[in-house]
Amino acid sequence: MNASVRLSVSSLRAHKRRFAGTFLAVFLGVAFLAGTLVMGDTLRASFDTMFGNATSGTDAVVRSADAITTPGESEGVREPVDTDLVTTIEKVPGVAAAAPNIQGAGQLVGRNGDPIGGQGPPTLAGNWIADPKLNAYQLAEGHAPRKSGEVVIDRGTAERGDLRIGDTTTLRTPDPVKVTVVGLATFGGEDGMAQVTFTGMTQADAEKYLTARPGEAASIQVRAGPGVGQQELVDALTPVLPKGVEAITGQASAEENTDMISSQFLTVFTTFLLVFSGVALLVATFSIHNTFAIVVAQRTRENALLRALGASRRQVTASTLVEATAVAVTASAVGLVGGIGIAAGLQALFPAIGFPFPEGDLVISALSMALPLAVGIVVCLGSALLPAVRAGRTAPLAALRETAVDTSGASPARAVTGLGLLALAVGVTLSGVLLSPSLWLAGTGAVLALVAFVVLGPVASTTAVRVLGGPLDRLRGVTGALARRNALRSPKRTAATASALMIGVAVVSLFTVFGASLKATMDQTVSRSFAGDVAVSTPSFGAGGSGLSPRLADAVQRLPEVDTAVGLGRGVAEVDGKGRALTVTDPVALERTFDLGTVHGSLRDLGTDGIAITEKEADKQNLTTGDKARLTFTDGRTQTFTVRAVYGQSELAGDYVITRDAWAPHRTQDADTLLAVSFEDGVSADKGKAAVEKAAAQYGNPEVQTRDEYAQSAAGGIDMMLTLVYALLALAVLIALLGIANTLTLAIHERTRELGLLRAVGQTRAQLRAMVRWESVLVAAFGTVGGLALGAFLGWVLVEASDGASDSAFAFAMPPLQLAVVALVGLTAGALAGLRPARRAARLDVLRAIATE
Amino acid sequence: MTATTATTITPTAARVVDAVKVYGSGDTVVRALDGVSVDFPVGRFTAIMGPSGSGKSTLMHCAAGLDTLTSGTAHIGDTELSSLDDRRLTLLRRDRVGFVFQAFNLVPTLTVAENITLPLDLAGGKGGKGDSGDEEWLDALIDVVGLRDRLHHRPSELSGGQQQRVAVARAFAGRPDIVFADEPTGNLDSRSGEEVLGLLGRTVRRTARTVVMVTHDPVAAAHADEVVFLADGRLVDRMESPTADKVLDRMKAFEVPS
Repeated sequence: MNASVRLSVSSLRAHKRRFAGTFLAVFLGVAFLAGTLVMGDTLRASFDTMFGNATSGTDAVVRSADAITTPGESEGVREPVDTDLVTTIEKVPGVAAAAPNIQGAGQLVGRNGDPIGGQGPPTLAGNWIADPKLNAYQLAEGHAPRKSGEVVIDRGTAERGDLRIGDTTTLRTPDPVKVTVVGLATFGGEDGMAQVTFTGMTQADAEKYLTARPGEAASIQVRAGPGVGQQELVDALTPVLPKGVEAITGQASAEENTDMISSQFLTVFTTFLLVFSGVALLVATFSIHNTFAIVVAQRTRENALLRALGASRRQVTASTLVEATAVAVTASAVGLVGGIGIAAGLQALFPAIGFPFPEGDLVISALSMALPLAVGIVVCLGSALLPAVRAGRTAPLAALRETAVDTSGASPARAVTGLGLLALAVGVTLSGVLLSPSLWLAGTGAVLALVAFVVLGPVASTTAVRVLGGPLDRLRGVTGALARRNALRSPKRTAATASALMIGVAVVSLFTVFGASLKATMDQTVSRSFAGDVAVSTPSFGAGGSGLSPRLADAVQRLPEVDTAVGLGRGVAEVDGKGRALTVTDPVALERTFDLGTVHGSLRDLGTDGIAITEKEADKQNLTTGDKARLTFTDGRTQTFTVRAVYGQSELAGDYVITRDAWAPHRTQDADTLLAVSFEDGVSADKGKAAVEKAAAQYGNPEVQTRDEYAQSAAGGIDMMLTLVYALLALAVLIALLGIANTLTLAIHERTRELGLLRAVGQTRAQLRAMVRWESVLVAAFGTVGGLALGAFLGWVLVEASDGASDSAFAFAMPPLQLAVVALVGLTAGALAGLRPARRAARLDVLRAIATE
Repeated sequence: MTATTATTITPTAARVVDAVKVYGSGDTVVRALDGVSVDFPVGRFTAIMGPSGSGKSTLMHCAAGLDTLTSGTAHIGDTELSSLDDRRLTLLRRDRVGFVFQAFNLVPTLTVAENITLPLDLAGGKGGKGDSGDEEWLDALIDVVGLRDRLHHRPSELSGGQQQRVAVARAFAGRPDIVFADEPTGNLDSRSGEEVLGLLGRTVRRTARTVVMVTHDPVAAAHADEVVFLADGRLVDRMESPTADKVLDRMKAFEVPS
C-alpha cells in the first residue's frame, strides 16, 4: 500500500496541470453547495434573532383560532378579533398591558411617485402600538402618530422611497390616504424586517382604512407582569377568551413568523440553489471522469511496466484511487473555505442591494460542512473508480505496445442498451404525459432520457461530429478537416467531454422552453378570456401590494367612454374542507368583459345566496346548477349557496364567483385585484385608456394597460426568474468548459509529435490554434445540439405534465430565438474553452516535439 | 519568393556560413556546431555523416529553419533565415523545404493522399499554386513512390517502409528547393531502407531536386552524391561518389582518436 501512495504522490506532483481542471470542478461544486447551506442557516438564524428581538416584549398573542389557507399560500387568512377584548384581558391577573394589533395591506408611494416594494414581500400597515414593549417596531426618530394622517414608517422603507420626517405622501390601503411621516422606526434593531414595508397609523385611522368594520383587530398583543411566565400568561388568558379565539405564547408567535418567512422565502431559495449545485456537481462528474480516464490511458505504458515489475492489480488500482482521493480531499476542503467565502460575500452584498441582512457571525453547522465534503469526495472518487479499475486491468504486455489512446468506437452492446433506454424513457415519459398525467412518471422518464443520452453519446458522436463538421472542410480547408478528424479520434472521449456541456445546455434549454411556455400560457389566458379593452392593476406579486380601491370600479364606470368596468376582488372560504379563492365581483358585468366559455344557467341573479362555479370544479364536487354548495368563511360561519351557473373558462375569473353582497358580511380589508374595462363603441383605445388613467390617478395611480401590455407585464416575473436561473447555470456551463479545456490539453499532450510534424511541414501557429479551437467548437457543438434536443424534449414533457397534473391549462411554446441564442452561447463557449489549449499548443517547440520519444 | 523560381538561378540550394550553435551556459555549455560552413549544391544528394554528438542533426535543423543559430548564417536559396520571424520561417518550410523524419512522419488522421498534399493544403489548398502542373507532378510522384493503390488508406494501415515512402512523396509534393531527411531509414529493416534510399536518389536525379540527408549508416550514405563528415561540431571532410566501404573506413578514423 505504501508503494501505491508513493506512486500517487509522485504522479500528482509530476502532473499538477492535468488535475487542475478536476480540482476546479470539484472546488466549484463543493463551494457552491457549502455556500448555499451556510447562507441558508445564517439567514434562518438571523431571522430568528430579529423576530426574537422585535417581539421580546410580547408574552402572549390572542387571535382567532382558525385560519383558511388556499392552495399556493403559506399564511392563512384569519378572522379578526374584537378590540373590546382588550379590556377583558387587561383585567386578567398577571397581565401588565394589552394592545390591539390591527394589520392590513398598505403600500406607500415614494418621493418619485412610484410605489415602494410590493415585489414579493408584504407591504403592511397597522396601528402604532403605544406600549413600546408590545410594539415590534421601535421608534428611532420623530414621534408616534398623534392625529389622523400621521404615520411612522420603518427606516428601510423611508430610505427606499426617499421619504423624510415631515414629508407628505400617499398610502394605498388601497384607497389612497394622504399621510404625513412623523417618525421613523426600526425592527428588531434593524432598519426593517427584511424587505417588508410597514406604516404605523393611529388606531382610529387603522380601523378606518384597514378593517371592514371598526372595533376589529388582527390580534391582541399581551405583556405579562413581573414574574409571570409566557405559558402561565396563556393559561390565565385562555378561560376568559370567547369561543374561536386562542392565546399563544409570544415565543410561539415569533417562531410562527420565522417559519413563515422560511417556508415562503428561505426554503424556496435554498432548494433552488441546491438544485443548481446538484447540476453543477453532475456536470463536474463527467469532467472528472474524463480526466481520470485520459490520464489512465496515457499512463498505460507506465502502469504496464509496474505490472511487469510485479505490482498487483490492486496496487495499480489503489495508486490511481489514492491520487483521486488526494485531489478530492484537497479540492473539497478548499471548496468548503470557498463556500464560507461565498456566504460571507453574500452577507456583505445583501445590504448593498437593499436587503437588510442582520449582521452577526455566519452559522456554520456540522452538516453544512460534512455534506459538501462528503459529496465532493464521493463525486470525485466515484468518477475515478472506473478508470482506476481499468488501470488495474492493464496487461503487463501493454508496456511494449505503441499507442495508448483508446480509439475504439462504441460497442454494439452500448448502442442496443442506449436505444433500449431511450425507448423506455420515451415510453415512460409519454405515458406520464398523455395517458395518465403524472409529474412523477414524467420525471422518471426525464431522468431515463438523460441517462439514455449519456449512454448513446459515444454512438452518436461519430455521426454527429461528421455532420456538424461537414461544412468545416469547405470553410477552413485542411485546418477544418484536421479539427474534425481530431474530434472523431476517440468517440468515447468526445462524448464524455460533450456530455458535461450537454447536461448544462439541456437544463438551460429546459428552462427556456418552460419559461416561453409560461409566457405563452399567460398570453393565451389573457387573449382568450379577457374581452375588455384595458386592465387596471397594481404591478406586484407575492404578498406585496395593496390591490385596487373597490371604489375605482364605480369611478371608472361613470366615465362616458366606458361601457363596462368590473372589479375583481378576492375572498376565501372553505369548500368541502379545502380553502378556495373566491372571485368577488359583479357577475353580470363579469360576463361582459370576460369570456367565460359556455355558461349553463345564468349569472344574472346570484344574489346573496347564489354562486357560479367552473365546469372543472363542478365535476370535481359533483355539482350542477340548482345544487347546494356549503361554504365556510373565516368567521367560522357556514352558509349554503345555490349553484346558479356553471361556466367553462376559469383562467382569469377564477373557479368560484360570488357577488359583493354575498361577500359583504365576511369581508376583511376591501380591495380589488383587477379592474377590467371595456369601452363604448367608437371610443379609440388611446382615448379610452387616457380617460381611465385620469380617473385612476386619484386612486393611488395604479397601472392601466391594454390587453397586450397586461399579458406582457404578467410575464415579466418569468423573465426575472429566467435571468436568475441562467446566472446560476452559468456555473455548470463553466465547469463543462473546464472539462473541454482539460480534455483538449491532455489530448494535445498526447499529440505532441504530430503537432511538431505539422509545424515542421508548414502549419503556421495561427493555423494550429485554429485547428485546436475548431476541435473545441465541434465538441461543444455536439454537446450543445444534444443538450438542445434533450432540453426541448424535457421542456415539452414538463409543460405537458404540468398541464395534465395541475388545474390550469398550459400552452407549449418553442422560443426559436432564445434557443438560437443558447446554441450560439454553447458554440462560443466551445471556442473560448479552446483558447488556452490552443495557445499552449502553438507555443510548442517544434524541435522538441519532433524529438520526443 | 515563389518556390519554383529560385532553383535554376542560385548555385546552392542551401548553405550555412560560420554556423555556431551553443546549448546551455556556464559549466554545462555544449558547442554543438563550432564554425561550420557548407554549401548544398542544387540538384545534388548530399549526406551528412558523423558519430553521435557530432552535431549533424543540429546542422540539419539549423539549415532547414527548424532551429536558430547562435551565430553565423543559414540560407535557403537567397533567403537568410535569421532575419525571418516564426511565421515567415513556417511559410518558408511549407513552400520551399521538404522533410523526411526518422519516424512519425505522417498525420494519423489523414489518408495517404492527404498526407502527401498536406503542405500544399496548408498553403491554401487547390488552386493556390497553378493546379494543373501540380496535378501532373503529384501524379508522377505517386507513381514513383508506388503507392497508387494505397492512396485512401490511413498511415496505421501501412508498413514502416510504406510510411517512409509516403513521407518522401510528401517532401517532394510542393516542388521544394530542398528536402531534408533526418535518418529516414533509421527505423526500417535493410530491405525497406534500401527502397526508400533508392527512391530518394532516383527522385533527385529524375527531377533535379536537392536532398540533404543526415545518417550514421555508411550504406545509406553510399546512396548520396557526396558525403560531408562532421565531428565535434566541425566539418572535417567531404567525399565525392562515396561507397559504403569508403565511408566506413573514414568513420573508423574518427572513432579511434576520440
